[in-house]
Amino acid sequence: MKNPYEVLGVAPTASSADIQKAYRKLAKKLHPDLNPGDKATEDKFKEVAGAYDLLSDAEKRKRFDAGEIDATGAERPQHRFYRDFATSNDGHPYTDNSGFADFMDSDDALAELLRRGERARANRSGRDLHYSLPIDFADSITGANKRLTLPDGGTLDVTIPPGLVDGQILRLRGKGAPGTGKGGPGDALIEVEVLPDRRFTRAGDDISLELPVSLSEAVLGGRIRVPTPTGDVSMTVPKGSNTGTTLRLKGKGAPRRGGGHGDQFVKLKVVLPKPPDPELEAFVSNWDKGKAFNPREDSTS
Amino acid sequence: MTMSKPEFLNRAGLEVQTLDTWLEQHWLIPDQTSTGTNFSEMDVARAHLIRDLKVDFGVNDEGVEVILHLVDQLHGLRRALAQLNRDLQETSR
Repeated sequence: MKNPYEVLGVAPTASSADIQKAYRKLAKKLHPDLNPGDKATEDKFKEVAGAYDLLSDAEKRKRFDAGEIDATGAERPQHRFYRDFATSNDGHPYTDNSGFADFMDSDDALAELLRRGERARANRSGRDLHYSLPIDFADSITGANKRLTLPDGGTLDVTIPPGLVDGQILRLRGKGAPGTGKGGPGDALIEVEVLPDRRFTRAGDDISLELPVSLSEAVLGGRIRVPTPTGDVSMTVPKGSNTGTTLRLKGKGAPRRGGGHGDQFVKLKVVLPKPPDPELEAFVSNWDKGKAFNPREDSTS
Repeated sequence: MTMSKPEFLNRAGLEVQTLDTWLEQHWLIPDQTSTGTNFSEMDVARAHLIRDLKVDFGVNDEGVEVILHLVDQLHGLRRALAQLNRDLQETSR
């Protein structure tokens, strides 16, 4: 092992600033990652780094000067250099071909060889492309076929499966960017956004709907038509229903994974006739039982 | 072999703030997966290089940027040259 002062080319009396300066000057030239093709620099760099480790540590330097430890007293922990990875044939995120991009454009033999090299090693599958597709609520329940227009003018036919949820991602195999060689194309990933609906809301497989009913339908009951995402159905409103009364339409919700359907919940909302009806007013003003009923009796504390 | 962020910080000897800055600058580009960020051995080696540049060589952030760009190009060239070499050997055979 060489004398660390000689390795760094400084006098044994050099200040720590001088030692740092000497090290930086050498290390900049010798760092293996800045000399990826020169195997010999690695050993030299290790020697210089070892010498610097020893001399930059005041305690170690004192002990070395006193002869307590030898120059091997400090060896840097082994680590793999960046260059060991960076020239590998597999693509990696730090790849940069701009250093010869201009050669590839020309027509000469070198360009042809470069291009062939690119082709030969690039049997890589294409990238996945990401798109987003907004659809109506009803389409998300019943399923639909949609055509997506791509930024490049092409189109993609997308089958929306029944019961799709907001934010679900559909994968269309082989519809992504073209691959090179035997790589095959990537996939198209389509994030589907279900647009909020004026009437329906969804929680899990169940759908909720607020449905206005007239006073007479609420008091007397009757059959009414109720919209569902798959079309209108007929439903019986029981006698004496109220605002907030919730009725269940079994199996009219969203399709369930693995078969079956959720339910649709219909929350009634009693709506008085518009404009106010004089007959109703006259009835209510003479309706003593109605006036005696206080709906807030239980709720006030 | 990949590793999680805490493991990477440990292996690269970095503070979390330092790493976040480096990620912001795109000096390091780890794999993003659905389970989080995955660092490779290559990322560790690259982090060591950046640390050597900054700490040992006193290179400032702008300098690191320039050096990384040139080093990346250098490796691109080296790879192309290696490929050319192989192609030439195949052609002459």
